[in-house]
Amino acid sequence: MTIHTIEIRERVMAKNDELAGDVRQRLAQHRVTALNLVSSPGSGKTTLLENTLARLGGQIQIAIVTGDVQTQNDADRLAKHTDKLVQAIVTGGACHLDARQILTALDRIDLTNTDLLFIENVGNLVCPASWDLGEHAKIVVFSVTEGEDKPLKYPKMFREARIAILNKIDLLPHLQFDLDVALANTREVNPELEVLLLSAATGEGMNEWCQLLLRSAKS
Amino acid sequence: MHEMSIALEVGRILEDRIGLARLARVITVHLEVGAEAGVEFDSLQSSLDVVLTNTPFVQAKAEIQRVTGDALRVSHVEIIDDDPHY
Repeated sequence: MTIHTIEIRERVMAKNDELAGDVRQRLAQHRVTALNLVSSPGSGKTTLLENTLARLGGQIQIAIVTGDVQTQNDADRLAKHTDKLVQAIVTGGACHLDARQILTALDRIDLTNTDLLFIENVGNLVCPASWDLGEHAKIVVFSVTEGEDKPLKYPKMFREARIAILNKIDLLPHLQFDLDVALANTREVNPELEVLLLSAATGEGMNEWCQLLLRSAKS
Repeated sequence: MHEMSIALEVGRILEDRIGLARLARVITVHLEVGAEAGVEFDSLQSSLDVVLTNTPFVQAKAEIQRVTGDALRVSHVEIIDDDPHY
Protein backbone atom coordinates (compact mmCIF):
# COMPACT_ATOMS: atom_id res chain seq x y z
CA MET A 1 0.00 0.00 0.00
CA THR A 2 1.47 3.33 -1.08
CA ILE A 3 0.40 6.91 -0.67
CA HIS A 4 0.59 8.84 -3.91
CA THR A 5 0.27 12.54 -4.50
CA ILE A 6 -1.75 13.54 -7.54
CA GLU A 7 -1.47 17.10 -8.78
CA ILE A 8 -4.86 18.61 -9.61
CA ARG A 9 -4.24 22.37 -9.88
CA GLU A 10 -7.75 23.22 -11.00
CA ARG A 11 -9.77 26.28 -10.13
CA VAL A 12 -13.00 25.36 -8.39
CA MET A 13 -14.88 27.80 -10.60
CA ALA A 14 -13.38 26.45 -13.83
CA LYS A 15 -16.50 24.55 -14.92
CA ASN A 16 -18.79 27.46 -14.10
CA ASP A 17 -16.52 29.81 -16.03
CA GLU A 18 -16.58 27.45 -19.03
CA LEU A 19 -20.39 27.50 -18.98
CA ALA A 20 -20.35 31.28 -18.54
CA GLY A 21 -18.33 31.37 -21.74
CA ASP A 22 -21.10 29.41 -23.45
CA VAL A 23 -23.65 31.95 -22.16
CA ARG A 24 -21.50 34.79 -23.47
CA GLN A 25 -21.23 33.15 -26.86
CA ARG A 26 -24.99 32.68 -27.19
CA LEU A 27 -25.66 36.25 -26.13
CA ALA A 28 -23.12 37.50 -28.66
CA GLN A 29 -24.72 35.45 -31.46
CA HIS A 30 -27.97 37.33 -30.86
CA ARG A 31 -26.36 40.66 -29.91
CA VAL A 32 -28.04 40.63 -26.50
CA THR A 33 -26.61 42.69 -23.65
CA ALA A 34 -26.91 40.97 -20.26
CA LEU A 35 -26.78 42.81 -16.95
CA ASN A 36 -26.57 40.99 -13.63
CA LEU A 37 -28.33 42.88 -10.83
CA VAL A 38 -26.88 42.03 -7.43
CA SER A 39 -27.80 43.40 -4.03
CA SER A 40 -28.78 42.52 -0.50
CA PRO A 41 -32.44 41.52 0.02
CA GLY A 42 -34.84 44.45 0.00
CA SER A 43 -32.66 46.96 -1.82
CA GLY A 44 -35.34 47.50 -4.46
CA LYS A 45 -34.12 45.48 -7.45
CA THR A 46 -37.59 44.32 -8.43
CA THR A 47 -39.12 47.79 -8.09
CA LEU A 48 -36.25 49.15 -10.18
CA LEU A 49 -36.99 46.58 -12.88
CA GLU A 50 -40.74 47.28 -12.75
CA ASN A 51 -40.11 50.98 -13.29
CA THR A 52 -37.53 50.23 -15.99
CA LEU A 53 -39.95 48.00 -17.88
CA ALA A 54 -42.65 50.67 -17.65
CA ARG A 55 -40.30 53.26 -19.16
CA LEU A 56 -38.38 51.22 -21.75
CA GLY A 57 -40.71 48.35 -22.56
CA GLY A 58 -41.98 50.16 -25.67
CA GLN A 59 -38.49 51.05 -26.93
CA ILE A 60 -36.41 47.92 -26.53
CA GLN A 61 -37.12 44.24 -26.01
CA ILE A 62 -36.26 43.29 -22.42
CA ALA A 63 -36.16 39.77 -21.03
CA ILE A 64 -35.62 38.96 -17.38
CA VAL A 65 -34.31 36.00 -15.41
CA THR A 66 -35.08 36.21 -11.71
CA GLY A 67 -33.46 34.16 -8.99
CA ASP A 68 -34.95 33.59 -5.58
CA VAL A 69 -34.30 31.09 -2.83
CA GLN A 70 -38.03 30.40 -2.59
CA THR A 71 -41.19 31.67 -4.35
CA GLN A 72 -41.41 33.21 -7.79
CA ASN A 73 -42.95 36.41 -6.42
CA ASP A 74 -40.48 38.66 -8.22
CA ALA A 75 -41.12 36.99 -11.57
CA ASP A 76 -44.88 37.29 -11.02
CA ARG A 77 -44.53 40.99 -10.22
CA LEU A 78 -42.43 41.65 -13.31
CA ALA A 79 -44.64 39.58 -15.61
CA LYS A 80 -47.40 42.14 -15.08
CA HIS A 81 -45.25 44.71 -16.88
CA THR A 82 -44.13 42.74 -19.92
CA ASP A 83 -45.31 40.06 -22.27
CA LYS A 84 -41.70 39.00 -22.73
CA LEU A 85 -40.72 35.89 -20.88
CA VAL A 86 -39.80 36.40 -17.27
CA GLN A 87 -37.98 33.25 -16.36
CA ALA A 88 -37.96 32.41 -12.65
CA ILE A 89 -35.21 30.31 -11.10
CA VAL A 90 -36.06 29.07 -7.61
CA THR A 91 -32.73 28.02 -6.19
CA GLY A 92 -34.22 26.01 -3.32
CA GLY A 93 -31.66 27.20 -0.81
CA ALA A 94 -28.67 28.14 -2.94
CA CYS A 95 -27.53 31.70 -2.27
CA HIS A 96 -26.58 32.62 -5.83
CA LEU A 97 -27.29 31.86 -9.47
CA ASP A 98 -24.70 29.97 -11.51
CA ALA A 99 -23.88 29.87 -15.20
CA ARG A 100 -25.58 26.52 -15.80
CA GLN A 101 -28.89 27.93 -14.55
CA ILE A 102 -28.58 30.89 -16.90
CA LEU A 103 -27.70 28.64 -19.83
CA THR A 104 -30.85 26.60 -19.14
CA ALA A 105 -32.95 29.75 -18.79
CA LEU A 106 -31.71 31.04 -22.16
CA ASP A 107 -33.31 28.00 -23.83
CA ARG A 108 -36.69 29.46 -22.92
CA ILE A 109 -36.01 33.02 -24.00
CA ASP A 110 -36.53 34.28 -27.54
CA LEU A 111 -33.07 35.78 -27.88
CA THR A 112 -33.67 36.76 -31.51
CA ASN A 113 -36.21 39.27 -30.28
CA THR A 114 -34.34 40.43 -27.20
CA ASP A 115 -32.12 43.50 -26.88
CA LEU A 116 -31.44 43.48 -23.18
CA LEU A 117 -31.42 40.68 -20.62
CA PHE A 118 -31.63 41.41 -16.93
CA ILE A 119 -30.55 38.76 -14.46
CA GLU A 120 -32.02 39.57 -11.07
CA ASN A 121 -29.73 37.58 -8.81
CA VAL A 122 -30.57 36.18 -5.39
CA GLY A 123 -30.49 38.91 -2.74
CA ASN A 124 -27.00 38.44 -1.30
CA LEU A 125 -23.92 40.66 -1.46
CA VAL A 126 -21.41 37.86 -0.89
CA CYS A 127 -21.80 34.76 -3.04
CA PRO A 128 -23.02 36.21 -6.38
CA ALA A 129 -19.76 38.18 -6.58
CA SER A 130 -17.85 34.95 -7.16
CA TRP A 131 -19.99 33.45 -9.93
CA ASP A 132 -19.53 34.54 -13.52
CA LEU A 133 -22.88 34.19 -15.30
CA GLY A 134 -21.64 35.26 -18.72
CA GLU A 135 -23.06 38.73 -18.16
CA HIS A 136 -21.60 41.89 -19.66
CA ALA A 137 -21.62 43.67 -16.31
CA LYS A 138 -22.65 43.30 -12.72
CA ILE A 139 -24.70 46.17 -11.36
CA VAL A 140 -24.76 46.41 -7.59
CA VAL A 141 -27.84 47.98 -6.03
CA PHE A 142 -27.77 49.27 -2.47
CA SER A 143 -30.14 51.59 -0.71
CA VAL A 144 -29.99 54.42 1.77
CA THR A 145 -31.77 52.32 4.39
CA GLU A 146 -28.83 49.90 4.51
CA GLY A 147 -26.10 52.14 5.91
CA GLU A 148 -23.13 53.93 4.37
CA ASP A 149 -20.66 51.13 5.00
CA LYS A 150 -22.07 48.54 2.58
CA PRO A 151 -19.15 48.98 0.12
CA LEU A 152 -16.63 48.49 2.94
CA LYS A 153 -18.42 45.41 4.26
CA TYR A 154 -18.77 43.78 0.84
CA PRO A 155 -15.74 45.02 -1.12
CA LYS A 156 -15.56 42.09 -3.56
CA MET A 157 -19.05 42.79 -4.84
CA PHE A 158 -18.37 46.50 -5.26
CA ARG A 159 -15.08 45.72 -7.00
CA GLU A 160 -16.72 43.25 -9.38
CA ALA A 161 -19.50 45.69 -10.33
CA ARG A 162 -19.24 48.18 -13.15
CA ILE A 163 -22.12 50.36 -11.94
CA ALA A 164 -23.55 50.98 -8.46
CA ILE A 165 -27.09 52.20 -7.95
CA LEU A 166 -27.85 53.92 -4.67
CA ASN A 167 -31.60 53.45 -4.42
CA LYS A 168 -34.39 54.94 -2.27
CA ILE A 169 -32.86 58.42 -2.20
CA ASP A 170 -36.38 59.82 -1.69
CA LEU A 171 -36.02 58.58 1.90
CA LEU A 172 -32.86 60.59 2.61
CA PRO A 173 -34.68 63.41 4.49
CA HIS A 174 -36.02 60.84 6.94
CA LEU A 175 -32.79 58.99 7.65
CA GLN A 176 -29.45 59.60 9.30
CA PHE A 177 -27.64 58.51 6.16
CA ASP A 178 -24.52 60.45 5.18
CA LEU A 179 -24.49 60.44 1.38
CA ASP A 180 -20.96 61.85 1.16
CA VAL A 181 -19.62 59.09 3.39
CA ALA A 182 -21.39 56.43 1.33
CA LEU A 183 -19.95 57.81 -1.91
CA ALA A 184 -16.47 58.09 -0.37
CA ASN A 185 -16.68 54.48 0.78
CA THR A 186 -17.70 53.42 -2.71
CA ARG A 187 -14.78 55.28 -4.27
CA GLU A 188 -12.39 53.84 -1.70
CA VAL A 189 -13.31 50.30 -2.70
CA ASN A 190 -13.60 50.90 -6.44
CA PRO A 191 -12.54 54.31 -7.79
CA GLU A 192 -13.76 53.35 -11.29
CA LEU A 193 -17.29 52.51 -10.19
CA GLU A 194 -20.00 54.68 -11.74
CA VAL A 195 -22.61 55.54 -9.12
CA LEU A 196 -26.20 56.45 -9.98
CA LEU A 197 -28.44 58.00 -7.36
CA LEU A 198 -32.08 57.19 -7.87
CA SER A 199 -35.42 56.30 -6.41
CA ALA A 200 -37.16 53.49 -8.23
CA ALA A 201 -40.32 54.34 -6.28
CA THR A 202 -40.58 58.04 -7.22
CA GLY A 203 -38.71 57.92 -10.52
CA GLU A 204 -35.96 60.34 -9.52
CA GLY A 205 -32.77 59.47 -11.40
CA MET A 206 -34.55 56.95 -13.62
CA ASN A 207 -33.97 58.96 -16.80
CA GLU A 208 -30.20 58.72 -16.45
CA TRP A 209 -30.48 54.99 -15.71
CA CYS A 210 -32.68 54.40 -18.75
CA GLN A 211 -30.36 56.38 -21.03
CA LEU A 212 -27.50 54.23 -19.83
CA LEU A 213 -29.51 51.09 -20.61
CA LEU A 214 -30.45 52.31 -24.07
CA ARG A 215 -26.79 52.93 -24.84
CA SER A 216 -25.87 49.47 -23.49
CA ALA A 217 -28.59 47.72 -25.44
CA LYS A 218 -27.52 49.25 -28.73
CA SER A 219 -23.77 48.89 -28.24
CA MET B 1 -24.96 27.53 1.29
CA HIS B 2 -22.32 28.92 -1.03
CA GLU B 3 -19.64 26.83 0.65
CA MET B 4 -21.57 23.59 0.16
CA SER B 5 -21.81 24.38 -3.56
CA ILE B 6 -18.04 24.78 -3.61
CA ALA B 7 -17.50 21.54 -1.67
CA LEU B 8 -19.72 19.64 -4.12
CA GLU B 9 -17.81 21.18 -7.02
CA VAL B 10 -14.54 19.99 -5.44
CA GLY B 11 -16.02 16.48 -5.43
CA ARG B 12 -17.01 16.80 -9.10
CA ILE B 13 -13.51 17.99 -10.05
CA LEU B 14 -11.90 15.04 -8.27
CA GLU B 15 -14.28 12.56 -9.89
CA ASP B 16 -13.44 14.06 -13.25
CA ARG B 17 -9.69 14.02 -12.67
CA ILE B 18 -9.04 10.74 -10.87
CA GLY B 19 -12.14 8.69 -11.57
CA LEU B 20 -15.14 7.66 -9.50
CA ALA B 21 -13.73 4.28 -8.51
CA ARG B 22 -10.66 5.75 -6.85
CA LEU B 23 -12.39 8.44 -4.80
CA ALA B 24 -12.80 5.99 -1.90
CA ARG B 25 -9.00 5.86 -1.64
CA VAL B 26 -8.48 9.61 -1.35
CA ILE B 27 -7.20 10.47 2.11
CA THR B 28 -6.39 14.19 1.84
CA VAL B 29 -7.57 16.95 -0.46
CA HIS B 30 -5.46 20.11 -0.46
CA LEU B 31 -7.07 23.39 -1.41
CA GLU B 32 -5.77 26.94 -1.74
CA VAL B 33 -8.32 29.54 -0.70
CA GLY B 34 -7.70 33.26 -0.89
CA ALA B 35 -8.74 35.75 1.75
CA GLU B 36 -10.83 37.52 -0.91
CA ALA B 37 -12.37 34.40 -2.42
CA GLY B 38 -15.73 35.17 -0.87
CA VAL B 39 -15.53 32.03 1.23
CA GLU B 40 -15.99 31.59 4.96
CA PHE B 41 -13.24 29.16 5.92
CA ASP B 42 -14.96 27.32 8.77
CA SER B 43 -18.12 26.91 6.70
CA LEU B 44 -16.10 25.55 3.78
CA GLN B 45 -14.24 23.17 6.07
CA SER B 46 -17.56 21.89 7.48
CA SER B 47 -19.04 21.44 4.01
CA LEU B 48 -15.93 19.60 2.81
CA ASP B 49 -16.06 17.37 5.89
CA VAL B 50 -19.57 16.31 4.83
CA VAL B 51 -18.75 15.78 1.16
CA LEU B 52 -15.42 14.00 1.69
CA THR B 53 -16.69 11.51 4.24
CA ASN B 54 -19.72 10.38 2.26
CA THR B 55 -20.04 8.21 -0.82
CA PRO B 56 -18.21 8.05 -3.17
CA PHE B 57 -15.56 9.28 -0.72
CA VAL B 58 -14.90 7.34 2.47
CA GLN B 59 -12.15 8.78 4.59
CA ALA B 60 -10.85 11.94 3.00
CA LYS B 61 -10.12 15.12 4.89
CA ALA B 62 -9.60 18.60 3.56
CA GLU B 63 -6.50 20.68 4.19
CA ILE B 64 -7.13 24.32 3.38
CA GLN B 65 -4.14 26.54 2.79
CA ARG B 66 -4.99 30.20 3.19
CA VAL B 67 -3.43 32.38 0.51
CA THR B 68 -3.68 35.99 -0.58
CA GLY B 69 -6.04 37.26 -3.27
CA ASP B 70 -9.17 35.52 -4.53
CA ALA B 71 -7.68 32.13 -5.44
CA LEU B 72 -9.96 29.14 -4.98
CA ARG B 73 -8.46 25.95 -6.35
CA VAL B 74 -7.84 22.29 -5.70
CA SER B 75 -4.09 21.93 -5.39
CA HIS B 76 -3.44 18.19 -5.03
CA VAL B 77 -4.71 15.04 -3.37
CA GLU B 78 -3.10 12.18 -1.51
CA ILE B 79 -4.45 8.78 -2.35
CA ILE B 80 -3.80 5.27 -1.06
CA ASP B 81 -3.05 3.05 -3.97
CA ASP B 82 -2.47 -0.71 -3.91
CA ASP B 83 -1.02 -0.71 -7.37
CA PRO B 84 2.76 -0.27 -6.95
CA HIS B 85 3.10 0.59 -10.63
CA TYR B 86 0.71 3.50 -10.48
